[in-house]
Amino acid sequence: MKPLVPLFVILAVIGLAYGGGQLADTRYLLGIVLPYAAIATFLLGFSYRVIRWAHSALPFHIPTTCGQQKTLPWIRSSWIENPHNKRGVLTRMALEILLFRSLFRNSRAQIEEGPRLLYTENKWLWLGALAFHWSLLVILLRHLRLFVEPVPRFVIGMDTIDGFLQIGAPQLLITDVVVVAALLYLLKRRFTDRRLRYISLYTDYFALFLLLGIVITGILMRYFFKVDLEGVKQLALGLVTFSPTLPAAVGPLFFVHLTLVSLLFAYFPYSKLMHMGGIFLSPTRNLANDSRRQRHVNPWNYPVKVHTYQEWEEEFHDKIKNSGLPLEKE
Amino acid sequence: MPEATPKPEELVQINYDPHEKDWRKTRPEFRKGTFCHAALPKDVKYLGLPNPRDWQPPDVDWKLPPNWKEIILQGMKERLEKFRSFRLFMDICVRCGACADKCQFFLGSGDPKNMPVLRAELIRSVYRRYFTTTGKLFRGLAGARDLTEDVIKEWFYYFYQCSECRRCSVFCPFGIDTAEITMMVRELLNLVGVNTNWVIGPVANCYRVGNHLGIQPHGFKDSIDFAVDDLEEITGVRVEAPINRKGAEVLFIVPSADYFATPHYYTLLGYLMLFHEIGLDYTFSAYAAEGGNFGLFSSHELAKRLNAKMYAEAKRLKVKWILGGECGHMWRVVNQYMDTMNGPADFLEVPVSPFTGTRFENTRSTKMVHICEFTSDLIYHNKLRLNPSRNDHWKVTFHDSCNPARGMGLLEEPRYILRKVCNHFHEMPENTIREQTFCCGSGAGLGSDENIEARLRGGLPRANAVKYVRDKHGVNLLTCICAIDKATLPTLLEYWTPGVDVGGIHELLGNALIMKGEKERTTDLRGQPLQQKSEAVHA
Amino acid sequence: MPGISPSQKQAIAERWLAVALETYPAQSRQFLEGEKDPFRNPVGQSLRTQIPKLVDELFGDMDPQRLGQALEELVRLRAVQQFTPREALGFLFLLKPICREELPADAQARAELEDRIDEIALVGFDIFVRCREQIYEIRANEAKRRVALLERMNPEAGR
Repeated sequence: MKPLVPLFVILAVIGLAYGGGQLADTRYLLGIVLPYAAIATFLLGFSYRVIRWAHSALPFHIPTTCGQQKTLPWIRSSWIENPHNKRGVLTRMALEILLFRSLFRNSRAQIEEGPRLLYTENKWLWLGALAFHWSLLVILLRHLRLFVEPVPRFVIGMDTIDGFLQIGAPQLLITDVVVVAALLYLLKRRFTDRRLRYISLYTDYFALFLLLGIVITGILMRYFFKVDLEGVKQLALGLVTFSPTLPAAVGPLFFVHLTLVSLLFAYFPYSKLMHMGGIFLSPTRNLANDSRRQRHVNPWNYPVKVHTYQEWEEEFHDKIKNSGLPLEKE
Repeated sequence: MPEATPKPEELVQINYDPHEKDWRKTRPEFRKGTFCHAALPKDVKYLGLPNPRDWQPPDVDWKLPPNWKEIILQGMKERLEKFRSFRLFMDICVRCGACADKCQFFLGSGDPKNMPVLRAELIRSVYRRYFTTTGKLFRGLAGARDLTEDVIKEWFYYFYQCSECRRCSVFCPFGIDTAEITMMVRELLNLVGVNTNWVIGPVANCYRVGNHLGIQPHGFKDSIDFAVDDLEEITGVRVEAPINRKGAEVLFIVPSADYFATPHYYTLLGYLMLFHEIGLDYTFSAYAAEGGNFGLFSSHELAKRLNAKMYAEAKRLKVKWILGGECGHMWRVVNQYMDTMNGPADFLEVPVSPFTGTRFENTRSTKMVHICEFTSDLIYHNKLRLNPSRNDHWKVTFHDSCNPARGMGLLEEPRYILRKVCNHFHEMPENTIREQTFCCGSGAGLGSDENIEARLRGGLPRANAVKYVRDKHGVNLLTCICAIDKATLPTLLEYWTPGVDVGGIHELLGNALIMKGEKERTTDLRGQPLQQKSEAVHA
Repeated sequence: MPGISPSQKQAIAERWLAVALETYPAQSRQFLEGEKDPFRNPVGQSLRTQIPKLVDELFGDMDPQRLGQALEELVRLRAVQQFTPREALGFLFLLKPICREELPADAQARAELEDRIDEIALVGFDIFVRCREQIYEIRANEAKRRVALLERMNPEAGR
């Protein structure tokens, strides 16, 4: 069973981190060495991958056109779905990155008695993906409160909105609920949809289990086993100011959380999670459909062997002549 | 049969593996009717491509060169540097499955390896094994697998079941385009001499003679002359169709099927009538006599080698600009590759319609205009006299061809023309047209004879949508602007949706066009009597 | 065939659909079964709509025309789906064990039912052969169209 191996790996990491969070030496390793190493791996790896992509040439302009091209003035062009200029491309990319435009396209048609055609939408994947990514972003930004002193105003504002339900103390944040639900949905698809089960790799499950581990330990610390926030903040500020200290009062659960986060960061550049950087570079989306309007140069364009007119005329000379077509050389 | 007779219910226990075996360990079965024949050694040799030899896909030994593995891996390495699309698409797929049910070959066959994501994984797994750290270290755990001869066979099987239609790319949240991946794999296969006859044969013909069938210059002239005679009989008007004439304003290039196949031919008649009626100063070329470019279905280099003829001929004939006929992948090449591959076309002028004064700004650099852009501009400016009732025997629908739809965005022009030249036009369901159009199942060099079953499966979703408008509106003509469509959709519809013919936009235009000095038309361009046809809505 | 309730018919149709789907690869089955969009899932759509019609005929009039239509749609599909003839048509015989299990034993009625299933299978066989023949025919037609003009120009040259 494919999901079992990654699940076991994550559980082992959790176990090790929980144990390690209780011993002084390993606390140092997990609390200071590991985060630095992970961030360094992330930054170096991420840049390496992006540079590697950018280093690959872009020989042809191959946007996937999803709407009417810009041609005659009286035909309305679809400037976002088939952009012909920078503005269109930027808008298309923004819709793609912020709202997952392409995933949203999953429409379907049904015939009702009549026969009448009804369009219904199949948006669950889009909704799940959007919910997951946006709540993760909010949660990530929320953590700024640990790294920046004084806490930025927008972070406080964000939390107020996030906690609008005003349930419990500490207040229940919507994003916490949403991110778990979305992750479980994304995981459930891989289990229950046969096609997805067939295409899923170990790494697909690994990423989901890892994220779930992080989110769940975070939630446990916030709502159930209260962690010493002051201590955590002290560690976080220490890390970003390069004068790390290990607070004594922080419990092992925190170390599990931190270790999983470090693992995520270190794993990131080696994995499909790089789609975060890749989407910006996707040549079917980030180029304008203007290659008839404007010449693009292929950096490795090289001369090729062609069959020239002269060769052609020579080969078929008599036949061309007999058919009365004009010749260059009589 | 030596085996004991099984009970009926045992008969259907077919060899599809009911267990969820890892896809990396299953092997394709080369069953007759699903694969294309191998390229002929003489064609491979003529084009100077690697490893010409006699072989066929069902053979156990494909006679690959001894260092085939090295060649493939070196080829991958090179292409990862040369194509950002390739490297990126190898890296960023998250296997979300949004593309899975978007491929007509999957929809028609149910074969899970026809899901775009899995088709791409066939090479991604090899990429991981040899080009990523995690793949080298963790192998199977990181989704990697070794490159073996079986993998090569699997690539051949499945990447020649992709029509490079880009439908999956429309739905992918990262824009991953399987067409791009298919192109890469076919280039790699080409390096070790794994090609199909249906692609390489036409490429060799086109390279040497000037068109896919290898019709020589005098034959080309004969068929154009034949069309002129035919037209005189139908319309009473004698048109001119110059070939290789220097100094014309426009070079006109059509897919070669227009002058030797039906129903393409009726579209050719339409062009000739149109040009005569407006008095266009143009010429055909017997050297650049092929709009289609099967090179695109094998490698970028072959595409460039064939495409070079267009600009070369435009330069030799000293025309001002180029006009291109109804063809699908030709326009993918012209729109997205030609200028980059063989430009700059600085010896040409920005196309201006001599009749409306419209300057085709969108073709400022490439200097090549699509016939639908040209004609719709004429109609918009009331330059044509049309009698759409001459098409009343047709109830028409329009099939967006993949390349003009998803590699260009030519959606409205043909529709505009259609609405002006016929009275009964019905769209197919929304998620089967425009950018979501289904492929005919025979594009990208799959339109062969020997793989007909694979084609019929791949074309089922399209035929199914046609059936819907046939049953609902009595549609009896599917129009399209692609030569491969016109060659293969009649076959597809004959099997799945009998009673629906296939035609071109300019065929209907020709029917509707009122020409100066024409005699009263009794038949359409197909020679079918104008009145009676309406009875034969259902065959 | 009297004495069969609509719910029994439905049960038979459902079980039959399930076993027919089992003739497709496991990974695709769920899609064929679950995707209700007729344009995105023509194969599943045909199975879903035609199987109940066949069951109706089996316990109804065995009207040749209706029977032929329902079978036509299914068999036409299976004729090009990489099945051997035995695989393509075998699913029709699966009705027998299903009916045996779903319906009370009555030798007379059972014999009659099985005769009807045999007849359905024979019609299916006809259609299958016709479809396969048609494939050769349309291949030939396509080849002709491909060079139609050349043939018109040189009628005596032949092919």
